[in-house]
Amino acid sequence: MSNRILLVEDDVALGQQVVDTLSQAGFDPHWVQDGDAARGLNPDDYRVVVLDLMLPGTYGMDLLKRYRVKSEVPVLILSARDDTADKIRGLKLGADDYVTKPFFPEELLARIQACLRRPNLVGTERLVVGTIQVDLERREVTTTDGTLSLTPVEFEILALLARRKGSAVTRDALVDAALDPAHDASRRTLDVHISRLRSKLGNDAAQLETVWGIGYRLSEGS
Amino acid sequence: MKLRARLALTLGLATISLLVLLGWAQSRWHSRLRVDALAEAAVHRMDSGGRERCEAAPERWPGPQGDRRLHRYPGPSRHRFPRHRVFAYATDFQSPNPDNPAFPPELAQQLEAGKDVASHRSPDERRTQVAVRMPWDEGPCAVVLMRAKGPPPWFSGAVLMPAFLVALVVILVALFAAGPIVRRVRQLTESVRKIGSAAEEPIRVEGRDEIAELGTAFEQSRQTIHAQLASLREREAALRNYIANTTHDVMLPLSVLQGHLVALQQRIEGGEILDARAIVPSIEESQYLGSLLHNLNAAARLEANEGLAHEDAIDLNRLVERVIDRHRPIAKRKQIALELAVPERAIEFTGDLTLLEQALGNIVQNAVRYNRAEGHVAVLLDGSNDAWTLTVVDDGPGIAESDRDRVLEPSFRGTEARTRHPHGMGLGLHIASDVAERHGLRLALSDTEGGGLTVELRFAPRDT
Repeated sequence: MSNRILLVEDDVALGQQVVDTLSQAGFDPHWVQDGDAARGLNPDDYRVVVLDLMLPGTYGMDLLKRYRVKSEVPVLILSARDDTADKIRGLKLGADDYVTKPFFPEELLARIQACLRRPNLVGTERLVVGTIQVDLERREVTTTDGTLSLTPVEFEILALLARRKGSAVTRDALVDAALDPAHDASRRTLDVHISRLRSKLGNDAAQLETVWGIGYRLSEGS
Repeated sequence: MKLRARLALTLGLATISLLVLLGWAQSRWHSRLRVDALAEAAVHRMDSGGRERCEAAPERWPGPQGDRRLHRYPGPSRHRFPRHRVFAYATDFQSPNPDNPAFPPELAQQLEAGKDVASHRSPDERRTQVAVRMPWDEGPCAVVLMRAKGPPPWFSGAVLMPAFLVALVVILVALFAAGPIVRRVRQLTESVRKIGSAAEEPIRVEGRDEIAELGTAFEQSRQTIHAQLASLREREAALRNYIANTTHDVMLPLSVLQGHLVALQQRIEGGEILDARAIVPSIEESQYLGSLLHNLNAAARLEANEGLAHEDAIDLNRLVERVIDRHRPIAKRKQIALELAVPERAIEFTGDLTLLEQALGNIVQNAVRYNRAEGHVAVLLDGSNDAWTLTVVDDGPGIAESDRDRVLEPSFRGTEARTRHPHGMGLGLHIASDVAERHGLRLALSDTEGGGLTVELRFAPRDT
């Protein structure tokens, strides 16, 4: 599917800004300035719909209702109104998320990317994070150096980090998931396992990041 | 029409109607009694020798008839009659007496239909005729016709005049009796008219009747209106105060922003090649401005004690992500590592989405805003729907222990909270504290190991 994003926003200055942001981020924005014009469009032609609520013509909420009848496309509400009722109503009507004005362009991009990521959150049997591949069924980890020989604890740590790739995972969550409570299930033991894991990962060790105040993260790498 | 006149007229008309109805019923009853008495008189007269005399000389019977009054007769019709006349006829309604009038056909018709007694009133209702079939069926005196005057018709003066007199008395009594009622109603009207004027006073109506109840109801309404007016005035004053405070609060960062922009312009005009970091303070100030407006809005809501307007199931993971995404641009520009960890299974919590987001936003904003370049901020959400903890850890300057209780006081009345903590830091934490309290959450501040502030927001229903 293309990178087309539908933007329904009546404010010219803000609309242009969002269009520029999306274009720079590699998306192909299609900007529509009133609700009536947006009614005739097929939402399935787009990867994400960014929808303002206060629109001339058809009101944003009605548009959302209309889109939801025929499509499951992710919809991100762009609201100038800091009004809980509107947000809740939007989410109940099937919006995936919202961004309240004023916002930084990066914030909008982050939310759009979150919308695009969401359906892929559920892990498969084979997880790929950068150059690291984790086969959950065969319990095998492959890197640029070939298949690694990991202990069950190291495998569990890496599998959890790979399942949540790009997200920080707390030390406690890793301790709970990988260490045996009957033995020495402490943060310090975890740090030792991580240290060993890093050395086994060799050239790909940089992908296993320490996150200040939280724990660890497996990132795609540079 | 005035109350008193309406009351008197109504009572008068009701009395007249009632009396006329009674007069009509009485007239009908008298009429019936007269028929019964005349029939009885006819039988009695024939039984007491009248038949023999009549049959002996039917052409002359009963002879000249002058005024004759019937005496009281035994039986149900104990009635004294005015003048009456009597005539005898054969069964074919013919009379040998040439002076007798022709037998009235309407009476003949009734007798032929099988009745023993027939009666008829003249159209003007002044005369009653009664025909009685005697127990014998032959001879010239088998049917006796009685004629008498009256009784008076129901619409005559005799019936109606007393009715009118009684009605007149009733009207006069009503006019007199309504006086005190009308006076009290007038007093009540006067009191109600004074509501809202300088001469306003509590409405008091003595007594225990409906007028007194009406007075009490008016007094209650007056008090309600007063309370509502006072509340409106208070709200208006609060609104004016809010606008004044908001203007003041917004002007400050706006002036700082303008200052930054002007400085940048001057540096560019001076030929300086600017580093991208030079613009960070302006961006930060503009973000703060937006956040301040949201905070002022939240403070106004909390100050008005509106409570939680919305109680919806909130996806806390998503909420935390949203807050982090909102602050990441500034953190990135300030080279602050802003990290986030949420549990795999999303935590759901019931509350006010906007207020919770604002509260967490304030905590994260403080952690980023007051941190040094290349500092760290970590946000951790952990637990389940039943009990969870949200921790915001930073390695910034922290808050002195002696100040912590003060910044968490859930109060932001007037400008005190703002001036006490310049740049809105206090306002933000006050709001966070208030929102936490309304949601049954515990907000606690502590030192971060190695320096900095740790803010913990905890939901543990069993603790409370």
